[in-house]
Amino acid sequence: MTTEAYAVDVDNVVKRFGKQTALDGVSLRVRRGEVYGLLGPNGAGKTTLIRSFVGLVAPEKGTVTVLGRRMPQLEVLAHVGYMTQQAALYPDLSAEENVYFFGAINGRVDGVREALEFVDLWDRRKSVVSTLSGGMRTRCSLACALVHKPDLLLLDEPTVGVDPQLRVQLWDGFRKMAAGGTSIVVSSHVMDEAERCDRLGLIRFGKLLAEGTVAEIKAKAAVDRLEDAFLKLSEASPA
Amino acid sequence: MSASRVRAITQRLLHQFRRDRRTLALLFGAPLIILGLLGYLLRGGGDVPKMGVVNLDSGPLGGIVASTLENSKSVSASSMSQADAETKLRSGEIAGYVSLPSDFSVQAQQHRIIAPEVHLEGSQPGLSQSILQSVSQSFVALAGQAGGVQFAPRITFLYGGPSFDTLDYFGAAFIGLVVFFLVFVITAVAFLRERGQGTLERLMASPLRRAEIVLGYMLGFTVLALVQSAEVLAFSLLVLHVHNVGNVALIFLLEALMAIAAVNLGIFLSMFARTEFQAVQFIPLVIVPQVLLAGIIFPISTEPGPLQALSRVLPLTYAVEGLRNIMIKGADLGWSSLQLDVGVVLGFCILVILAGAMTLRRRIA
Repeated sequence: MTTEAYAVDVDNVVKRFGKQTALDGVSLRVRRGEVYGLLGPNGAGKTTLIRSFVGLVAPEKGTVTVLGRRMPQLEVLAHVGYMTQQAALYPDLSAEENVYFFGAINGRVDGVREALEFVDLWDRRKSVVSTLSGGMRTRCSLACALVHKPDLLLLDEPTVGVDPQLRVQLWDGFRKMAAGGTSIVVSSHVMDEAERCDRLGLIRFGKLLAEGTVAEIKAKAAVDRLEDAFLKLSEASPA
Repeated sequence: MSASRVRAITQRLLHQFRRDRRTLALLFGAPLIILGLLGYLLRGGGDVPKMGVVNLDSGPLGGIVASTLENSKSVSASSMSQADAETKLRSGEIAGYVSLPSDFSVQAQQHRIIAPEVHLEGSQPGLSQSILQSVSQSFVALAGQAGGVQFAPRITFLYGGPSFDTLDYFGAAFIGLVVFFLVFVITAVAFLRERGQGTLERLMASPLRRAEIVLGYMLGFTVLALVQSAEVLAFSLLVLHVHNVGNVALIFLLEALMAIAAVNLGIFLSMFARTEFQAVQFIPLVIVPQVLLAGIIFPISTEPGPLQALSRVLPLTYAVEGLRNIMIKGADLGWSSLQLDVGVVLGFCILVILAGAMTLRRRIA
């Protein structure tokens, strides 16, 4: 399973919800062991794209291949971690019980402590989730996504509501995981986070505007700041 | 107190309801359905209790009583032989019969004592009451002719007995109903919470199969439901002293089957609701009609014809009947009527398990 060159291979995916076109022929590839940033405004299609990686969205056209398996495929999901935008947790369970549960349904419970330490919640592991702050819940949700040591980690806006200090800490963690061979896809609309990614995909109105390293994208738009590049590339391809 | 702030809340509420067509439909549709059903049930010209008249009297008075009863509008009486009446009573075809002994006229004329034998099936107090009432009314005419007589019927019960009260009759049904109802609501709400809090999305993005989710839920809630069933049963038998002549293990078996059915019905129906609020709305649609029609309160044999047919397809009807068969009549699995009851409830269990598993797949794909 680790012999594939790409962790995610999306080929010309189209998805509509009624009249709304959420994904309009998106093609992109996430390499093994890289941190790939999906950058775009709210409603651009980032979440829909990530959901298609785990088979929750069935594309009308095109294919999604994850860790060498054409989706939808159930078994490969044991090697994928998915952190939803909303901190999806069981409020009546403790942080540790939540993490244990998501480990168990993916067939691995040996990483509970490591996951909780990674998000700095080991000391609060006995706390019931409903008593945790918003930021702590986000971190607990992240721990649930990586407890089974996935080869591919999908993070839908993981640092919303997380304080700057912990954000830096989390990003150091992501970098470390990537260095260890984990492929990570992070969606964000925060530009300074995008700078920390190996490569970026700029997405707007369900279309991929540009793909490449931060430097490549800046060069393509002939600007110095990523924000300006995004605006310029958006104008270049109107919806 | 600010009128405009109060108005803001009122307005918002009405706006929300305007968007929620389903709740509106329920709010204005359900009362009509429930009241209409109740009206039809009570005034739809249902059947009156059936009874037999066994006239062995050698004198003239027995014939008068018999014809009075046969012309009665509150019971449907027909004359039959003693043996026939006994057979029909045991099969449940008649709810009771009155037997007028050979010395009936002699007793009445010489000793001024009217002493008919009234044999009641006894498992349904409503029916027993109707029969006793009709029988005593049929002697009013006689009393006028003979003058100053003493009415001393001898009443026997096939099931239950004179101490058998309404709770004994309802208790058996309610033991099953309470479990069915509570387990259904709790499961439906828990499953919807899983959807609402986003964890279902996570489960769907894991290698979990749909059947594994449904089975896991079923086992978890079944554990709770079984504990609840045991509690309800123990309370009914030990504290309330609800009449029971049957095997406690059999009662528990039927209760357990109902609990499993309720769990899966909850999972299945939660697929058709977006919010916990909407799940609770299934109560007037799913639970109330069943309570009215399952023979819990109104005996099915006295319902209007079309409703009897409807009652006969409701699974709760068989569960209630089964529990009464066991607790009131002491039925065991050798009885064909109990075999039918348990069979239907078991079949319903399997049906909702399959329905739950299939709907889950459809909604997520």
